[in-house]
Amino acid sequence: MNYYLRRTARIPLTVLAVITLTFGLIRLLPGGPFTQLRIQLIRQGVPVEQVNARIEALQNIRPDAPLWQQYLDYLAGVVTLDLGESISLGQPVMDVIARALPWTVFLVVTSTVLMFVIGVLIGAVQAYWEGSRFDKTFSGASIFLMAVPSFIFAVVFLFFLAYQWSLFPTGFASARGVESGFTFEYFASVVHHATLPILAFTIGGIGSTALNMRGNSIQVLGEEYVEVARLRGLSDGRIATRYVAQNAILPMYTGLLLLIGFRLGGTVVLEEIFSYPGLGYYLISALEANDYPLMMGCFLVITVTLVVAVYIADLTYGFIDPRISAGDADGY
Amino acid sequence: MATDSTQSTTTASDGVSDPILEIRNASVSYNDGETRVLEDVSVDIDRREVLGIVGESGSGKSMFASALLDAVPDPGRLTGQITYHRENGDTVDVLELSDEELRQFRWEEISMVFQGAMSSFNPTMEVGAHFKETLKTHDRNVSEGMAFARELLENLYLEPERVLNAYPHELSGGMQQRALIALSMVLNPEVLVMDEPTAALDLLMQRSILRLLDNLQSEYDLTIVFITHDLPLVAALADRMAIIYAFQFAEIGPRDEIIGNSAHPYTRKLLNATPNLDAPLEEMQPIEGEGPAPVNVPSGCRFHPRCPLATEECRVEDPPLESFDRHYPDHRAACHHREEAREEIPLNFGEGAQQFDHQPSESVASTASTGRPRTGDEPPLLRADDVEVHFEQSQGLLERFGGPPEVVRAVDGVSLDIQEQDLVCLLGESGCGKTTFGKTLIGLQKPTGGAVEYRGQDIWEASGSTDVTRDEIRAALQIIHQDPGAALNPNRRIVDILSEPLRHTHPNVGRNERRSRIHSLLERVGMNPADDFMGRYPHQLSGGEKQRVALARALLMNPNAILADEAISAVDVSLRIEIMDLMLELQSEFDTSFLFISHDLSNARYFAEHGDGRIAVMYLGEIVEIGTAERLIHDPRHPYTEVLRWATPSLDLDDMEASDPPIREVDVPDPVDPPSGCRFHTRCPVAREACREEHPDLEGLDDAPGKAACFREDPNHAYWDSEPLEGAEESDDVLADD
Amino acid sequence: MATETDSQSSSEEIDWRSESSSAEMTRRDRAEEFYRRWVYEPVVIAWSDVRTRLGILILGGYLLMAAVDVFGLWRNPSTNQAPQLLPPFENWSFPLGTTNSGVDLLALIIDSTPFILLMVLAGGVWATSLAVVVGTVSGYKGGRVDTAITSVSDFFMAIPGLPLVIVLAIALSPENPILLGVVLTINYWAGLGRSIRSQVLSIREASYVEASRTMGTSTPRIIVKDVLPNIMPYVMVNFVLAARYTIFASVGLYFIGVLPYTGQNWGVTLNNAYYQGGLFTTEALHWLLVPMIAIVGLAFGLILLSQGMDRIFNPRVRTRLSGESESVEEDENTTTTGMF
Repeated sequence: MNYYLRRTARIPLTVLAVITLTFGLIRLLPGGPFTQLRIQLIRQGVPVEQVNARIEALQNIRPDAPLWQQYLDYLAGVVTLDLGESISLGQPVMDVIARALPWTVFLVVTSTVLMFVIGVLIGAVQAYWEGSRFDKTFSGASIFLMAVPSFIFAVVFLFFLAYQWSLFPTGFASARGVESGFTFEYFASVVHHATLPILAFTIGGIGSTALNMRGNSIQVLGEEYVEVARLRGLSDGRIATRYVAQNAILPMYTGLLLLIGFRLGGTVVLEEIFSYPGLGYYLISALEANDYPLMMGCFLVITVTLVVAVYIADLTYGFIDPRISAGDADGY
Repeated sequence: MATDSTQSTTTASDGVSDPILEIRNASVSYNDGETRVLEDVSVDIDRREVLGIVGESGSGKSMFASALLDAVPDPGRLTGQITYHRENGDTVDVLELSDEELRQFRWEEISMVFQGAMSSFNPTMEVGAHFKETLKTHDRNVSEGMAFARELLENLYLEPERVLNAYPHELSGGMQQRALIALSMVLNPEVLVMDEPTAALDLLMQRSILRLLDNLQSEYDLTIVFITHDLPLVAALADRMAIIYAFQFAEIGPRDEIIGNSAHPYTRKLLNATPNLDAPLEEMQPIEGEGPAPVNVPSGCRFHPRCPLATEECRVEDPPLESFDRHYPDHRAACHHREEAREEIPLNFGEGAQQFDHQPSESVASTASTGRPRTGDEPPLLRADDVEVHFEQSQGLLERFGGPPEVVRAVDGVSLDIQEQDLVCLLGESGCGKTTFGKTLIGLQKPTGGAVEYRGQDIWEASGSTDVTRDEIRAALQIIHQDPGAALNPNRRIVDILSEPLRHTHPNVGRNERRSRIHSLLERVGMNPADDFMGRYPHQLSGGEKQRVALARALLMNPNAILADEAISAVDVSLRIEIMDLMLELQSEFDTSFLFISHDLSNARYFAEHGDGRIAVMYLGEIVEIGTAERLIHDPRHPYTEVLRWATPSLDLDDMEASDPPIREVDVPDPVDPPSGCRFHTRCPVAREACREEHPDLEGLDDAPGKAACFREDPNHAYWDSEPLEGAEESDDVLADD
Repeated sequence: MATETDSQSSSEEIDWRSESSSAEMTRRDRAEEFYRRWVYEPVVIAWSDVRTRLGILILGGYLLMAAVDVFGLWRNPSTNQAPQLLPPFENWSFPLGTTNSGVDLLALIIDSTPFILLMVLAGGVWATSLAVVVGTVSGYKGGRVDTAITSVSDFFMAIPGLPLVIVLAIALSPENPILLGVVLTINYWAGLGRSIRSQVLSIREASYVEASRTMGTSTPRIIVKDVLPNIMPYVMVNFVLAARYTIFASVGLYFIGVLPYTGQNWGVTLNNAYYQGGLFTTEALHWLLVPMIAIVGLAFGLILLSQGMDRIFNPRVRTRLSGESESVEEDENTTTTGMF
């Protein structure tokens, strides 16, 4: 079978494995999946004999059925995009996720792209002036940046920029009074609210990206083809972009897409700190409210997003770098 | 050619009448003059001449090349004067050019070809884009320029469209190198500086490229400065030659003078150390020692520590590079003892050697024809029986969407017997399957068809309980790799590397016993002081020393056969003979068989003739001819052997004006889809219709020892009645009759 | 000699088996050599690099703090042991100041140092050793073993780390630092294992590995002697990155209150400072800053250490620093690489 077919066929398999894991994990949790719901329903005055039926209606799973039956029911639910109903919010899990996912993706993609661009620029300049004071300063700074977790930046920014100087809001994705829609006011509010989380999430990653780019560029600068290009009289600009930058950045490409997936999980802490209504935020609140359906839904969606990101990384690498045939894209 | 040097009466020291480049006192230094990698070099280069510059690695020859373009790598400092004469009489002081003038000067007037074509192209850009951007930055008309580029590519036997639209890695090494030559000529420069442009290629491709260069040179009126470590290679092309030793020219003069009448001991020793087909074997001799590093250049004459003629004068006084022979005023040599050198160091080839040419052949042939002494019905040491090795190829992007995987037929039905203490050389171009076959023979590669037997035991079916056990077979078949740098684990010291085989052969021997064995063997392979070497890491050894360690490692296993995979091609020319001699001596001392893989007929000949062995010529996964070295060289039966014979450089001056290669195509066909019938028919100069339809078998020759796979051996074959293929000759004239 | 029975060739005995006393090594020589190779040289190399030296000093400081705690040389943290919200560097009995409930911040930091160090070590060792085993085995063995291992690690790579850890943390309530370290890096090994695999794939093709195979050296020995030393620099750098990840993840999760905890530690201290008013007034700023500095300092020390790590495993650096001779070829290499 050829590589692309194999690779594509692996996606549903991975997702199935994740669903199974989710299903298993939920049963590891203290009290199991239904205790909390049962207590809540009884508290709402639902007669005890109807509780199981209500649970079935809400979660698509018969609590008294054998495990394999529950598993199949759960699977069927996922396939029909029905993840049950959130206990704490009283809404379908799918609706909550549909609202939260765009915020998380916005946060992750923007910050990762920013981080990549800034890191690459700094690293390239460092390599160009290798050994200069600029290089040494930024190498030191990069190493230091690698040592600071993003949530520490978040706390520091919140403390100074939000609480002490009130330059930015302390939480949420947009101001309460602003209607969502294609208005300038709304966009301004969104950007204003997202600035600190994105900033905190971007800065931490710049260090390693810059160091990486610096190393790659120095290596490429020593390549013979750069010397030949110079002898052929090409302009410095063309050598810098088409020769050095391109060959230095390409190996970092798969790393970038993987990083997006990795950071998808990392937003949990940041969204919690900034009360940013993304998947991570709902994951934690579901956790605190023992809202298992919502928790599992969030987990599942984060995972599927990651699976897709890795898939895209694998597939496109062969097209982006002519030297690599896609089957060799194991280099990460 | 343009250099009519003998009649020159100009005052220029090199007797050059119309110099295009005048180099005066050029020096390159690093570390504020502490390290000098080119010292006070003065030379004139004539318009439209080919100047061959020969030197060992680390002699400063690449630095000379860079200096001509004022492109000495940072932080090196180039001093002296380099004057360039335009055709219209203008002169350019190269070292005084502004950055912008220099940018234009390079590639438009002088351009350069580097050794590694793969590393000279941007790997993420199509080859054609390199041409276009070069034309654009030099404000040339792109469509005219590209038309010229296509013409150049065609002259270099390439398909222009295919090459221009390919990424560098999609081309073979030979194609890349030719595309690079085209790129260097796309602005129609006057001077082409070539720094080891063919060193990474196999011999046939090297010679083919040189031949094409010769044509380009006359067609486009080029001046070529060709820098190489390979003296006989450039001899076929050059008008004048210069020998560089320890950052200075040792000798310079017309090609024929340098080859036939050189006056510097180094040149003469270098000529004698070069394996070639004409010299009697007994007189090939290595040069002792190694060239000096730039930090400790000897006082006086730089060559005196290695020179047999050195006197007190040589130790004290540096001989000037000056002319000495009034008949050849343009022949200059830097030596105090030029006359003695000519008398005391006889050259081992050419006229003086003619008498040897056929004399030893009979004795060798007679011993070879009787064959190896066979002891009764004993099975041979190694027997390959119809061995096939097919690989599934990783496919390109587009094909991956469907279709069966492509199969590379690396080895396709080869049978070969190797006796005890036998010596066989596998000879062929890169990609002919010689390495794969060699590795299959020693059990490193599992054949996909056929069988390999060791003393009658199929090596892939051996186990712990068979007569000949698997461990025994594994220990008996050893390997020496091509690149000695990669063959030793960089993280282990020599003593640890060499202890490994002893752990297998003598598991109960104590540490001190092991050390003393290693110590003695290191001394035996010529590494003194052995104690010192044992504690070193591989990176502290030179290439030749590493190869000796690899040899010692293989020998410590007490093997019955050793595969030497191009084991000397990474070693400096002056050391090759020494390493080969060492291998041969140890072969008889240790009673092993040797399988020697090479692309160079002269090396294979040295080995096979000294070791009294056979040469098997491989082409596209098959053996096409096998026999003694003597017969293969003087009486080749397969046209492909003839081609390899042509490709082997010769130092015979009469033979030197290179003829066109006796092949119709420069490149080897794709082994995924080998030609039908005789696989060589697409390149064979005498192929006929019959060759395309029928596959010739490897059959014993009627009138000579050995075998060949060619219809021309059978006088009654349908071949003789069929039509010649397009481009092939009807008569046999293309095949030189030796 | 009894062991000589298997060497059949007689010529070899005569030619090169001559005893030579200069090759003898006494037990003492060997001990000296061992010390030189495994203690003296690595230390000299590490110390010669400014970054590594600084890293060693910083990490030494943390070890010292751990020792102080283990031997009980500083008071244990408890409420109202000091005035509330004392700023740092004012009262030298409480050099780093106190919390709003009068707990000595220095005592808090010191108290949890052994816990954090153990957890970091466990996380780093678990993630890297598993990755090394998985990567080398699947890379070297290839075939079906490789396919199986690759599929499993692909699956683990597809699961986002932190959310999985959060769910696991709730299910397992890990309070033991070692268990916690392992849970935090539960799927960290997968990505690392994949990149080690691709490195091993290329080393497997190296001539010297083929030479070892030709000699019949066993696969485990080839992996240990030929493959591992060549990926060690990479492994060590990634050990540090895994350790860093463990610190960040644990503190982050403690901070948002997801991980179960009994006592105090840096993340919990940060959480308390954050939610008990540290954000709103500058008077409590030091309460926020002290745990942050502790975290950043440890990560910084680790990263600095890793910066010079590859040099320790590089035989060239080794020979250069111990002043041994370099070959002629080395000089050549430096001039030729300088050429372009």
